[in-house]
Amino acid sequence: MSPERKIDLAWLMLVLLSVGGAGIARSDANAVLVAVGVSLVMAIKLRLVCNYFLELHEAHPRIRRAVLAFCHGMPILVILTTAFGDTLSSLTGALLG
Amino acid sequence: MTLAVPLSPTVPVPTPAPRPPQATAGRIPGSKAMWVGIFCEITEFALLFAVFFIARAHHPEAFQAGPERLSLLAGTGYTLMLLTSGWCVARALHAMRRGDRRATVRWMLAGFVFGLGYPAIKIFELQRNFALGLDGSAGVFIVSYYYLTFTHLVHVFWGLLGMMWVIARTGLGAYTPEEHSGLEAFACYWHVTDMIWLMIFPLFYLLG
Repeated sequence: MSPERKIDLAWLMLVLLSVGGAGIARSDANAVLVAVGVSLVMAIKLRLVCNYFLELHEAHPRIRRAVLAFCHGMPILVILTTAFGDTLSSLTGALLG
Repeated sequence: MTLAVPLSPTVPVPTPAPRPPQATAGRIPGSKAMWVGIFCEITEFALLFAVFFIARAHHPEAFQAGPERLSLLAGTGYTLMLLTSGWCVARALHAMRRGDRRATVRWMLAGFVFGLGYPAIKIFELQRNFALGLDGSAGVFIVSYYYLTFTHLVHVFWGLLGMMWVIARTGLGAYTPEEHSGLEAFACYWHVTDMIWLMIFPLFYLLG
């Protein structure tokens, strides 16, 4: 498959995931489950952009690691702050006075 | 040395040999200066996301009810516009690599038009929000929303200005299949700005 076709397919996947992600969020499931679903969709979309648009696999390892840390860290933070919001609130409340 | 690329589609365009993996792996795409700027942008948004998570932890009810106050249609519209613009820019880069300058300009122009869709939707969304009373006094969720999305809008504006510059330089023949680091640097910035929106969108429009 040509690189252009791969980019086209990545774009199509991104569009479908964007619409699908909205569907997950509007479901009546538990808040943590919704956060996991939305975060998973976010992670897949970020990875598609990194691989096919940004071509991160060609980049210097330090650039690659830093961008991937940001992209992987964000969905994980969404889940953690949803599941442990009270802990974060008490920790930051103590720090902020 | 500059490789002259003919504009007429009837003249055969020289196709560069595929880049060997060892020549591309581990390189700095675009330019070092652009990556310094990109990491500044990432740091800025990382701080804003930290503020968002802390505010959300302290005001769970406001953030639970928040997404229903915003237009999901507008949020999805921004996402589709930016993704499609990013796709056009990625295709433009590949067109440049195979030496097709006309196709590069066409893809870049398409990317610019889709990129303009973002501020266009923003105008309609702001009119809707203000009509519903969602201004700076509408609570912590809306304030966080304006703070993050306006910061992102500023970055989109820089990107659109950069895109105009890159389109002009492509049209003037400043880039070649061998040397198009300016085009690539812009593409990196645009894709990272796109990625940051992919993080903002679920935070405000989807997660309750």
